[in-house]
Amino acid sequence: MQDVLKVWVDHTRCVGNGFCVMTSEKVFVHNEDRQSEVIDPGADTPEKVLEAARNCPVSAIQVESAITGARLYP
Amino acid sequence: MTSIDLDDLFSAEAIGDPYGFFGALRESDPIHWNARHQLWVITRHADIVWMVRHHELFSSAVIRNDQRPPYPPIDPEDKERFEYVREFRSEQVVEQDRPVHATMRGVVHPFFAPTAMEAWRPFIANAVADLLDEIEPRGGMDVLPDLAAPLPVRVIAQLMGVPPEDREYLRELADKLLYINRGESYRMKPLTEGMRAMVEYVTPFVEKRLQEPSNDFISVLAQGEKAGLFDRHQVLVNTALLLFAGHETTMNLIANGTLAFARHPGQWAQLRADPDGLVRTATEECLRYDAPVKSTQRIAASDVDFHGRSIRTGDRIRWIIAAANRDPLAFADPDAFDITRQPNPHVSFGAGIHYCLGSTLARLEGQEIFRALARRVPKLVLDDPEVEYQPSIQFRSLKSLPISWR
Ligand code: HEM
Ligand code: SF4
Repeated sequence: MQDVLKVWVDHTRCVGNGFCVMTSEKVFVHNEDRQSEVIDPGADTPEKVLEAARNCPVSAIQVESAITGARLYP
Repeated sequence: MTSIDLDDLFSAEAIGDPYGFFGALRESDPIHWNARHQLWVITRHADIVWMVRHHELFSSAVIRNDQRPPYPPIDPEDKERFEYVREFRSEQVVEQDRPVHATMRGVVHPFFAPTAMEAWRPFIANAVADLLDEIEPRGGMDVLPDLAAPLPVRVIAQLMGVPPEDREYLRELADKLLYINRGESYRMKPLTEGMRAMVEYVTPFVEKRLQEPSNDFISVLAQGEKAGLFDRHQVLVNTALLLFAGHETTMNLIANGTLAFARHPGQWAQLRADPDGLVRTATEECLRYDAPVKSTQRIAASDVDFHGRSIRTGDRIRWIIAAANRDPLAFADPDAFDITRQPNPHVSFGAGIHYCLGSTLARLEGQEIFRALARRVPKLVLDDPEVEYQPSIQFRSLKSLPISWR
């Protein structure tokens, strides 16, 4: 079974680099401050979401399993 | 007391104490038209963050779009050399706007991302240990030539995948590339020499990596070329960018951070008591408190009404990192050096789509240096309490930093 993810962006860290939005426009959008917001964590595969999280230059993207509660990133 | 000319960006006051100089501008005229240099000077943290994140309004293609003659002036016979430099720099990722920027950055970004970079930490820690093993028994050093300069070159050489015996040569090239930010009228000569030599040196590595990719940075660019995302010229000029962008910047983080600790023995004692626990926030505070890059630039891509000031398409803009990092509206007690500060939203690596590609690498180098120094050096004593800086408006570069610990 595929994991269901809980994903959020720490706005004290996000610098608006936009790489997450480039990686998955279905999951991440920029708000009017050009910081990233999660619109729908299930809109893309868990692999894509984790790829976005790993590539965030300031590790602002937080990922947990919604099923087990385990921290997946960072 | 004579009053200071806040438009003279090369004045002794601006170079020696950018915090006082640009802090005065920030508090009196945060979006300032500098008539002398014909550019806008932006100093508030919130304004800088807003501006840099609106990349469609403020272009990074400064070299391509700015047709004005070079400043400070260059030797008249160097026009052709200047054109070569222009051509070279205008293909670098830092000078691109979207959509080209997104394509280029997409190729190189994952290599430098935090998870991937963490794998290089042991190499960096070892390189730091090697350097300090040699220096420690001497009881003192000039931080710049002995520690701050050799480390970044060693690390970049490894990331590029070039043999260790070529490091000295790379360092010579890096020194020539650094003329980009200098003011001497003859600077186009060493600069073009460095650029041409870099192209010549890197080309065979690219050829080789096209055939046999490895885990290094040149392989990443070569794969970009194979995929049709980079042409050869772009591969070469961006390899040069890497060597250059990671050199003086990281040197300054190491030297300026060491100076801050030498001037704040209480903070040094605190870091020494718990290097592993504090080294991350301490490195961030070094980045904020005395930022390696003081300012950088943009060129307006459209007319913008900015808090009532009219910025026009084509206007040049300098945004002052040194002023934003000490903005009382963004940081409590901004002039205090506090290694536990958190959060620490400094703009030392910029913001938005051009946020420093090498930020994770620079952080690793800073962390491993300050961790090792804290473990090994009980006291940092400045040989000379007065320090001097290079006359650059971009870099906060000490001329030298002799210290001792005996
Ligand atoms: C403490 C060290 C460093 C500081 C303070 C620093 C600072 C900066 C700043 C302020 C920018 C943004 C420029 C702009 O938006 O106009 C930038 C961009 C960049 N930096 Fe760094 N940097 C450092 C280390 C490095 C290292 C080690 C590398 C490479 C290995 C590097 C490569 C780059 C590149 C390629 C860009 C352009 C990114 C883009 O345009 O997307 N930097 N850096
Ligand atoms: S990649 Fe990170 S810093 Fe960039 S917009 Fe996404 S969350 Fe923010």
